[in-house]
Amino acid sequence: MSEHRQEYIDLCAAWALGSLDAADRRTLDQHLAEGCAECAAAMEEFSAATVMVAASAAGALPRPALKDRVLAAAQAAGTGDGSGAWLKAVPGARPAGAAPAPPRAGRGDAPGLRPRPAWTTWLPVAAAAALAVTSGVLWIRARQLGESLASSRKQVAQLEQRMSEEEKWSAVLRATGARVSLLEPTTEGDARLRARATYDPATRRAVVVFENLYKPNDRDYQLWVIKDGVPASLGLIRADEDGRATLRLENVGDSIALSAFAVSLEPKGGSPNPAAPTGPVVMLGKLST
Amino acid sequence: MRSLSELFDRYTPLMYPVALRILRSRADAEDAVQDAWLQVWRRSASYDPRRGTVVAWLLTVVRTRALDRYRSVASRNRAESRVDPEPVTAPEDPTQEAAHVQLSARVRAAMAALAPQQRQVLEIAYFHGLSQSEIAKQLNAPLGTVKSWTRQGLMRLRELLPQEEWV
Repeated sequence: MSEHRQEYIDLCAAWALGSLDAADRRTLDQHLAEGCAECAAAMEEFSAATVMVAASAAGALPRPALKDRVLAAAQAAGTGDGSGAWLKAVPGARPAGAAPAPPRAGRGDAPGLRPRPAWTTWLPVAAAAALAVTSGVLWIRARQLGESLASSRKQVAQLEQRMSEEEKWSAVLRATGARVSLLEPTTEGDARLRARATYDPATRRAVVVFENLYKPNDRDYQLWVIKDGVPASLGLIRADEDGRATLRLENVGDSIALSAFAVSLEPKGGSPNPAAPTGPVVMLGKLST
Repeated sequence: MRSLSELFDRYTPLMYPVALRILRSRADAEDAVQDAWLQVWRRSASYDPRRGTVVAWLLTVVRTRALDRYRSVASRNRAESRVDPEPVTAPEDPTQEAAHVQLSARVRAAMAALAPQQRQVLEIAYFHGLSQSEIAKQLNAPLGTVKSWTRQGLMRLRELLPQEEWV
């Protein structure tokens, strides 16, 4: 079975409007022959919508003589192929041969026919149209709900991913074997600087939270970890307007090799020397054992 | 025959204006309506309820007959020589007039509320009988865009005509 695609819906609309190109008709026929509930529903609704397009022309009536002509021609043509197949689908229609009501003179109806007030002839059309419209509105709402549901599912998936991410980093802070480093300002650092680093030896992840990290103009704070006595850069620290920052670091290093975290104040963009700070070290904290 | 009489009364007010809009001639439109009713009478078994309502089927039949008639050279020449449809005599029954005038007024209002391109493609497709690719050529628009306008126009039309508008 060919998979339902959105462009089939376009073909259904053109089909209902009697505007489908021959090549597209073959494509659609083939698709429908394989069974597609969504397209079948769409065709029904577009077909009902097409009735609305037709009804936009309404207003003119033929001359009364037309009815006599049509009835006479139908009589001459006989009963056709039974004439009953579609009558069952007409709201309120009586089968041929039902007991006639008393005739009323002066309406131009054929003898023996019960004239009907015009509103009674229109109400079933209006009711049929109303049903069609109702199901159409339901169909459109169902589509909208479907789209909304798909969007919600996407949001839920994104939230789940974020929650999973949060959970991952939260686990670092709760890890039983976690090592902590409280970073204090050095004599060259602002006395308000505060930071706490938590390192999970099992996963080698670290979370470092900074406070009062107000960035001087044209300078950047850079975080280092001391590994086997040698500094290794963990990247620049981007604080918000309130001087807060949280760094989440993967693969910080092997627990045995790590001894401390440090922060240096570097030229914009970080230390020109990737292997060591070039600016003053403004914070330092030994890692607990 | 009795049921045909009732059905004529019920559905001709929807069918005839479609033929008139296509053919722009009362005589031709009446002929098209007569052809349509005879076709329906003779070949009612061709109605397939799975493909739409009876109204939709009757309108399809009369539209096809009217377009066939329009495409015959003589009728087209006649139709193109006219600027407007011939004046329509007022219906004798004021309640009938109110019913279908209200119907068409509401549908027209909904049509008017469509984006102009959507309305244009629906009208060209339905009343001029052009296929999607012919419309694209006539409007000098990409085929995919014409298809989108068609789908969006029909869907919007359904949204604009809630049930209470019709009851």
